Amino acid sequence: MLDAHAIVLSPFETLVLNLSLLAIVAWSMWKAEKSLDSGNDLTILVLITIFAITGRILLEPLPNVQPVTVVVLLVGIHYGATRSIGVATIIAISSNLVMGHGLWTFYQALGWSLVGVTGALLSQSLRVDDKISVSRVASVSFVAAFAFDWVVSVSVLHTLPLETLPVYILAGLPFDLVHGVGNVAFAAWMAEPISDIMSRHSTNREVVVSPVKSSS
Amino acid sequence: MSDRLRLGSTVLLVAVLFLFPFIRDSVNEEVARFVSDSESSHDGLPTEWDESQVICIYFPAEYPHSVYSSGVSMIDADGSIIGVNNDLNLTGACVGGLEGYTDGLNFMMDATRVAGGHLAVGYFVNPNWGEFVHTIGGLSDKEIQGDFNGAYWSLTHNGRYSMVGIGSLVMEESDVISWNIETW
Repeated sequence: MLDAHAIVLSPFETLVLNLSLLAIVAWSMWKAEKSLDSGNDLTILVLITIFAITGRILLEPLPNVQPVTVVVLLVGIHYGATRSIGVATIIAISSNLVMGHGLWTFYQALGWSLVGVTGALLSQSLRVDDKISVSRVASVSFVAAFAFDWVVSVSVLHTLPLETLPVYILAGLPFDLVHGVGNVAFAAWMAEPISDIMSRHSTNREVVVSPVKSSS
Repeated sequence: MSDRLRLGSTVLLVAVLFLFPFIRDSVNEEVARFVSDSESSHDGLPTEWDESQVICIYFPAEYPHSVYSSGVSMIDADGSIIGVNNDLNLTGACVGGLEGYTDGLNFMMDATRVAGGHLAVGYFVNPNWGEFVHTIGGLSDKEIQGDFNGAYWSLTHNGRYSMVGIGSLVMEESDVISWNIETW
């Protein structure tokens, strides 16, 4: 009997397969957004949340490289703190259904929520002339990687004594670094297109008062 | 600007990913230095093992090992039992008399093999976090039930919680590692 499921993929083949799947998800969502009327902010939130969940799961072969931190930061910038907290928590819970749920889910949700709140607080300074500043988002997302990882590291205090925390954080630095560099790459590629989409569907968009031609 | 950032960050990411195993290993060596060589880590073990590397497996009272259920059996590198310590208030087995290992997982697999299958180790590999030991000596962490969320095999390095998993643990001479069940 044929059994296609018995094919064992190498880590590299798995990565190529996963990247292809993620590209399909991103492309289909990109297309779906085109057909939306403007002001559909909730639909965009759902699409972007699904993209982040899928991205985190599919990029698991790469250590600590995933789009969630940058996505949550952008949600914070465009849609505010409350929504970014919701998105961050849903992403942590949903992706952990596949990657493993436990006490750490709470700390991941907390860490990403803090990233989202930071985005909301800095939303004015992360824009230049009402357009997202990719380099500033990249810088903040690099720092956010370390902050997020250290928040999650605090969860080990449930099992380890306090004096071991600095050593634990030191042992995690390579993972923090790759998270930070990954964030910069995601920001470089995604910050502009995602910001454009979010701006088109923002409920906070400014009312444009166009001059009315006088008939005189 | 944004094109340069895209290209630069992608190249940097690929470079960091390629260098990741080397960065991680060198940081782990630094971390190993922080784990002080506690002199008491050999307490309760045979004195002839003082200069050698030792692994101990301790089983919870509710889930004793089928063979090493009374005291802690001391198994030498050739597989012979050189004594049983009944004063530790623990049950299980230690394998000692080994030398020259630097890779924690290699050491664990070789040392437990000395017990001829009684301490067989089962682990799976998580691409992010490395090797995760789920079964030792026939006791799987999934089997353990009680008034807690879950249980896991916890690794101790020279008497202190190990900062890294067994797959990343860098061993030095006369190091003692031990495994016991913890709950969360």
